[in-house]
Amino acid sequence: MAEFKVHRVRFFDYMPTAIRAMAFNHRTERLAVARADGALEIFNFADNYFQEKVIPGQDGRAAEALCWLGQRLFSAGLNGEITEYDLENLRPRYTVEAYGGPIWSISSNSQGTLLAVGCEDGTVKIFEILEDRIQFQRNLDRQKGRIISLCWHPSGTLIAAGMMDMIKIFDAESGRATHRLLVERGVGASKSREVVVWSIVFLSDHTIISGDSAGKVQVWDGLTGTLVRTHLVTKWDVLALSSSQDESSVVAGTSEGTVVQFQFLSSNVGPQDKEWVRTRTFKNHSHDVRALAHTDTAVVSGGMDTQLVVRPLLDKVEKNTQESAMRKIAFPHRSLVCCAKKAGLLLFQFPDHLELWRLGESNGHGSPGDSLPVKRKPEKLIQLKRKGEDHISCSAVSPCGGWLAYSTVSSFRLYRLQNNTISVTKVSRLPKDLRSAQQLCFSSDSTKLFASSCRSSVLVVDLNQSDCKYLHTLRPKSGSSQPVHLLCVSEDGKWLATANTDCLIHVFNLDKLKLHCTVPVYSSCPTAIAIHPTNSNLVVVHADQQIFEYSLVQKEYTEWSRKLQKRGLHPLWMERDTPITHIAFNPKNPAHIILHDTFMFCIIDQNLPLPEAKTPLYNQMTLRSLPESERIMHSHAFKICKHFQHLLCVRLLEDHSLVVVERPLLDIQSQLPAPVRQKKFAT
Amino acid sequence: MVKKQRGETSSSLKMEKVSDNFNLMLESSDDEAPEEVTFEDSKAQALKSMKLALDTARRDKALLKEKRKKRQELFQEQKKRKLLPAAVLEEIASKKQKPSEDEAEDEQQEEGGEETKKTKKKSGKLANARNLKGKYTVQTVKHGASEASQRQTAEDFLQSRLYGAGSCRTTSNELLSLENKKGRNKSAAVTFVNKDWACREKAKAEKLKKRWIHKQQIPC
Repeated sequence: MAEFKVHRVRFFDYMPTAIRAMAFNHRTERLAVARADGALEIFNFADNYFQEKVIPGQDGRAAEALCWLGQRLFSAGLNGEITEYDLENLRPRYTVEAYGGPIWSISSNSQGTLLAVGCEDGTVKIFEILEDRIQFQRNLDRQKGRIISLCWHPSGTLIAAGMMDMIKIFDAESGRATHRLLVERGVGASKSREVVVWSIVFLSDHTIISGDSAGKVQVWDGLTGTLVRTHLVTKWDVLALSSSQDESSVVAGTSEGTVVQFQFLSSNVGPQDKEWVRTRTFKNHSHDVRALAHTDTAVVSGGMDTQLVVRPLLDKVEKNTQESAMRKIAFPHRSLVCCAKKAGLLLFQFPDHLELWRLGESNGHGSPGDSLPVKRKPEKLIQLKRKGEDHISCSAVSPCGGWLAYSTVSSFRLYRLQNNTISVTKVSRLPKDLRSAQQLCFSSDSTKLFASSCRSSVLVVDLNQSDCKYLHTLRPKSGSSQPVHLLCVSEDGKWLATANTDCLIHVFNLDKLKLHCTVPVYSSCPTAIAIHPTNSNLVVVHADQQIFEYSLVQKEYTEWSRKLQKRGLHPLWMERDTPITHIAFNPKNPAHIILHDTFMFCIIDQNLPLPEAKTPLYNQMTLRSLPESERIMHSHAFKICKHFQHLLCVRLLEDHSLVVVERPLLDIQSQLPAPVRQKKFAT
Repeated sequence: MVKKQRGETSSSLKMEKVSDNFNLMLESSDDEAPEEVTFEDSKAQALKSMKLALDTARRDKALLKEKRKKRQELFQEQKKRKLLPAAVLEEIASKKQKPSEDEAEDEQQEEGGEETKKTKKKSGKLANARNLKGKYTVQTVKHGASEASQRQTAEDFLQSRLYGAGSCRTTSNELLSLENKKGRNKSAAVTFVNKDWACREKAKAEKLKKRWIHKQQIPC
């Protein structure tokens, strides 16, 4: 492994926000997650839980509930609006005011024709779903008190609504409330407090399952309106419920951070009389579980501790496989850090501002492992607040440090920076076509800006001393409507590669401004792409951890890539559960490829033999203890360093020093809101 | 005047007497007969109280009147402040004499159609405001006051339910420290383990420590 001077950066105060709501689409296997700042994330469960899309939030628009309708995604929030999202252009398509005050819940019938929302003013409003929009149809009978939770009966004729102190069952046809189920309040001091029915599930055999603020999960008979069974789950609140598609299992999330599973099992007496029995308890969260989804094989939970946890159910998956491993997704699967290689600047992207830092300097020399004295401390040069209500969707700083660009869904801004004097001037005359971008990238000589926009097209903008000029729009022939999520330009400025969420990778020739080739489509989504500076090979890493190298000149996979595919990657490499988010190359040694994920960074030496399945993958420590002569025998291509933890970014600077941006999860955890107080034995 | 004053004093004296009598009455035990109050006395007293009531009513009215007057004045002043200076007003008045031309212009603008609309938008007007005929503008109120307050109550409800009184919450520090305490490798609370944490508390602790050492040294 090569030696590097490392800038260990810990001043990026990245703080993810809490997960508010979740919806799982069983058909497409996509999970939509709504966060407290209004951002929406789409995870592809068929492709290693890869975070395919992120729709940036907006001030005042935080989704309280989410709902899939086929391929369409709807959200509703406390601002009283229903929003449909444009998942191809990563923006809200339209919003419809419900005129019922804040909306607490949203639910669609199983036929996919109607949408019901529960409002603060006590009405359940039914919206008709049309081809390109939704239209208000009618109100159900107005109730006293807010409608907190809603669920349609699978037949589409009944709606159960959770309220304060009670559950109401509505006839969806007539709009009348047919049953009123009174929910018991908590005991003791909370007797005087109204109980809130936070979540409700209506099953096809007319069983209603409710979770409330008194910590109960209750099973009701919806036909007679009687209570069947009460399970006291927690001393705090049961905040979320979700049922499996076959209705044999229901999970409940609590304020304690536990997820409790209930299953519909036959008791010992006879096979006929089945009961809802509490079976399993998972504790994977330190804070409140606010959102749950029950997939066919796993329980997905999220809440105030900002992590998404996928917990496979061991009776549904094969044991001791990769499928049965628990996943925790703490960081976004895209980079929030941009590095100006030549100027030694770092740009940190927050939802509402950007921070530009200059790295520190050190002139000391030490042996490997030493921390060098800092001659000049890192300093924050600029904090740039965004304009408007929309949050920042992407940002970039040019390698020379002279340009800074960011985009929201509604606007695009370009700034000229003077670093010696620290001045920012906005470039006022922008090309008309450059209204918003999904990804941004500067060429390595900082003379061109690439911005991806709708239908996988890429705008090329020429940057002069002080102004910019539109040059060309690069369009792929395939006509894919999916957004571009990766953009990379070669060091010599000849090639531009784009990857979109349809798993398509296009390479454009920038001299001719034409499509050069399309890389053969692989089934998994690319998570990082890069073009080698000297031999113009495109290196692609996919969500299933596969690595490919594609020669742009010969338009075929390289010899090394074929060898790697034939040999297969090491099983430990395949078991890693975070995607590679960035690829870089070492100009000193062209055979080195530098990759990183959240837990490690790796240097792949293409000259060394590939590891066998039986050889240890993480062998840096043992290599160090061996004498020089024996090292060569044991070393293999993958050199992995786990010294730096919870990586957000690893970049190689022009002066061959490595920048490592860490964000320890403990630091994030320490800034979270208050957890519940639990008594632990002997403390 | 003198007479009047005298009268007043006498009446006040009388009052005192009456109250004295009353006191006496209260103090006197049950077996004593009630003291006689002449008809004249009681009549005078009644008249006086009536007069007093009338006086207060009149005074209140006068006060109210004054208050209204003051407010009116304030309003007028405010209006004046809002108004443009006299010269400008005059100018406007003189211009108003040719209203027909203005109207014609307006019509022309409307005929102009979309182009003029575009120019209007470009001139920096709000997107949700719209010019009608004349000087009236109609504007949709995006965030109504009631809407905002409703939202606030909803958020407050959520906050009070999850974090309000009786929710039994602790701090992240305590939670993480508990893990340190219970884990295999026991260590101090996170605030002390992590160097970046709670700088202020640490500074305070340092100060207190110095003070304590100082105190220990003095008696020696």
